[in-house]
Amino acid sequence: MKVVMEKAISLQVNGQFHSVMIEPDELLVDVLRERFGLTGTKKGCGTGDCGSCTVLLNGNPVNSCLILAVSAEGKSILTIESLGNANHLHLLQQSFIDHGAIQCGYCSPGFLMVAKALLDENPDPTETEIRVAIAGNLCRCTGYAGIIRAILAAAKTMQEAAIE
Amino acid sequence: LSDYHVVGRSVQRADAVAKAMGKVLYTTDLSRPGMLYGKILYSDRTHARILKIDTHLAEALPGVKAVITAAQAPDKLFGIYIRDRLIFATDRVRFIGEPVAAVAANSLRVASQAVRLIRVEYEDLPPLFSIDAALSPEAPILHPDLAGYEAVYPYTRYKNVCLDAQLRMGDLEHGFAEADHIIERVYHTAPAHQAAIEPHACLAEIDDNGRIVVSTGTQQISVLHTELAMALGLPMTDVRVVSVALGGGFGGRLKTHFEQICALLARAARQPVKLVLTREEVFATTPGRAPFTIRMKVGVKQDGTITAKDVDILVDAGAYSDHTPGTATHAITMAQGPYNIPNCRARARVVLTNNPDWGCMRGYGAPEVAFATESLMDSIAHELGLDPADLRLTNLCKEHDPIISTQELRCVTIRETMLAALKASGYREKKGHLVPGRGIGIANLIHITGFLSSSATVRVNEDATVTISTGISDIGTGAHTVLRQVAAEVLGVPFESVQIAAVDSDTAPYDTGSIASRTTYDSGNAVRLAAEEVRIKLAKVAAVTLECSPEEITVEGGQAFERLNPGRRIAFKELVSLALYATGGPLLGSGSWLAAGPFPQPVGEGYGQGPAGTFLFGTHVAEVEVDVETGKTKILNYTACHDVGKAIYPAGVVGQIEGGAVQGMGYAMFEEVCLQEGRMVNPSFVDYRLPTALDTPTINAIYLEHPDPTGPFGAKGIGEPPIMAPAPAIANAIFDAAGVQINEIPITPERLYRALSSKKDFSGSSGQSGR
Repeated sequence: MKVVMEKAISLQVNGQFHSVMIEPDELLVDVLRERFGLTGTKKGCGTGDCGSCTVLLNGNPVNSCLILAVSAEGKSILTIESLGNANHLHLLQQSFIDHGAIQCGYCSPGFLMVAKALLDENPDPTETEIRVAIAGNLCRCTGYAGIIRAILAAAKTMQEAAIE
Repeated sequence: LSDYHVVGRSVQRADAVAKAMGKVLYTTDLSRPGMLYGKILYSDRTHARILKIDTHLAEALPGVKAVITAAQAPDKLFGIYIRDRLIFATDRVRFIGEPVAAVAANSLRVASQAVRLIRVEYEDLPPLFSIDAALSPEAPILHPDLAGYEAVYPYTRYKNVCLDAQLRMGDLEHGFAEADHIIERVYHTAPAHQAAIEPHACLAEIDDNGRIVVSTGTQQISVLHTELAMALGLPMTDVRVVSVALGGGFGGRLKTHFEQICALLARAARQPVKLVLTREEVFATTPGRAPFTIRMKVGVKQDGTITAKDVDILVDAGAYSDHTPGTATHAITMAQGPYNIPNCRARARVVLTNNPDWGCMRGYGAPEVAFATESLMDSIAHELGLDPADLRLTNLCKEHDPIISTQELRCVTIRETMLAALKASGYREKKGHLVPGRGIGIANLIHITGFLSSSATVRVNEDATVTISTGISDIGTGAHTVLRQVAAEVLGVPFESVQIAAVDSDTAPYDTGSIASRTTYDSGNAVRLAAEEVRIKLAKVAAVTLECSPEEITVEGGQAFERLNPGRRIAFKELVSLALYATGGPLLGSGSWLAAGPFPQPVGEGYGQGPAGTFLFGTHVAEVEVDVETGKTKILNYTACHDVGKAIYPAGVVGQIEGGAVQGMGYAMFEEVCLQEGRMVNPSFVDYRLPTALDTPTINAIYLEHPDPTGPFGAKGIGEPPIMAPAPAIANAIFDAAGVQINEIPITPERLYRALSSKKDFSGSSGQSGR
């Protein structure tokens, strides 16, 4: 019988601190989903190949299935739940809805988080830059066309808003 | 301008906001108090007798709540076409990935540990890894009871062949005698996987009445419910299926997978059990698209007129028949292609082996034969020195032409899609004028929809909102949006006032499901008829108030009025109140649609697929660049043109075309389940390569609208056709670019490189020889 040593850690998720007892080998994706009930972060492969579990760690997109929860201590974690709410959707969310970027929706949270990281870094990306940014995320429904349209349109809207 | 107020508008789909926020709960997200985690032990042998299964160590592990094997499962055979399998292997296993035992435990960690503690003693039997081996006279018989299994159609079955079917039309010998040239090729299509991003998952629990409740994402709630009850040996009233949001279907979530196992675990443990497959298990144990070997022979006159076509298809079924009899019969139905060929024969044999249990994927046998047919068209053109587009135009099928499945073609629009695709792609300007290393290729497609039944009910609520009950799950396509638009249009109410009831086997009317490009056409028709029944009921009530006959009443724009005297009117809401409170409800309509049926007895020899409600047409044009040093192909431009009859939800139509075309590019260039002695050796997204955003061009998606009078508001279907044409269009473009024809998909850089290397006279110039 394996003896499991639990460890108390504190994680900063979507701006709030959560203290939790975890086993040292627990993955960030499982802690987010199962301990905190943040099921918007999806699990598609568990091996870092599909990008569905993408969250932002100190602003950078990471596969949360490849991150030990203990190693996320002291860092800012942003999940899809931080992006917008029904009364005030994030521009990217509205753009995904408007441009056919969402079909089954399982990969959408991962794509939205990658897109947010991209636009935070590069507010006016070219189509090629968008394709490179989302190349680590798999979508089986849309063929990526709607997702690319949505990110381009959101960037344009943000630029216009910034000028005004 | 459209006469419709909702149909034809890209309204906002109901689930989009929740999906954008990550709020939608898929099966993988569900949890229950006291929920256990399930894990399946799969066979690691391709073919072996089971001597002994020892579960003692697993049962003794703290945290384990149930361990089950065949001994704890009903011995009822089940299966979708041929009832040839049990829930767990009993006396022998037939493939790597066949369930042998299962465990429920209070954590996934413990469940995974427990399955590893189950000891199975096997005695290996000689395995069959190829169709040739399975067809040889000395081959061991994998299913000794094959001919005696119950089956939905009286398929011809013998030895390891679970289906041998043939369709014929005209006089084949005469057709070949008329020909100036006879051209024959053999094509291979690799096994592929649906690879939906959500892994297969299921949650089973026992309700207060002792019924088994299974929550899962499914494309076919009615079929899943029937088959689950059959496998469990229970009346359907003791089993309830709740449809949960599904993270991608593509043919991977039809019927049951391991819902029986999850249900048995929940019953044994008396606690809810959730079972989620790992990605490796999804790839290696759930049925993907079967590999096809297709031999095609055509007779053609000097001017390009095709006089005869003979098709022989061999399908590797894997260890159990699953969906392969259906994909094989569908393939021979479509084997003629969208061409008028008076003399045709198509035969399919489905052969059992010890390879994985193959099933079906988007297109259901049609992309396989489309690759062969459309590649062969370019071989003919090459041999005759004709332009591939001109050869196709010469032979296109027309209205009322007979096809091999003994039906007459109707609503034929292949000329329209072809001309539109040629124009949009600039084919005529580009063909023969591209720089060296670049090429352009064309592929046509014919598909069918409108078969098997759909039903629906439409109910008007007290506040004049409308609820549709259907067995159709929206697996991401926008099917629910289409159904809401249809009902809103018929009843003249706002789109937003119509909603879809939870899809639950307790209430959903029978529907064959979200499969086969059929939801818009078949389920849309069922909803249309149900809504029309409600409209007639409302017209009767309005007629009493307005003192006219019900036939003189029009219901539209939120009102009912006398057609010739529109001033005499009553608001829809008031009318509903009258109907429910003064006349007495329910304001309920039911609709039933079966375009072509009931299924006839076999139309060919040993054949079992009925005729179709309507025919779908499309044309794709691919422009590629081939790096002759590496064999790498880049798609530069891509045009996909489809006739959809009427685009009820245009954003959904475009989504299906773009997404289907990209899936087709994966099938054409990357995706292959690689087997070594029956074992999948690439069960991950790294090694089973899906197209990424860097591999795909922008798709020029074009839809034409030539209304089909039998479709709801003229609509046909669009789910599957877009995946049919990319493989041949890309193969033909590579032929144009590099002068080599690859008759095997996927056309990986390695395959193309080898072909280029073995082509002695390859000069690297554009265009084909013989022009």
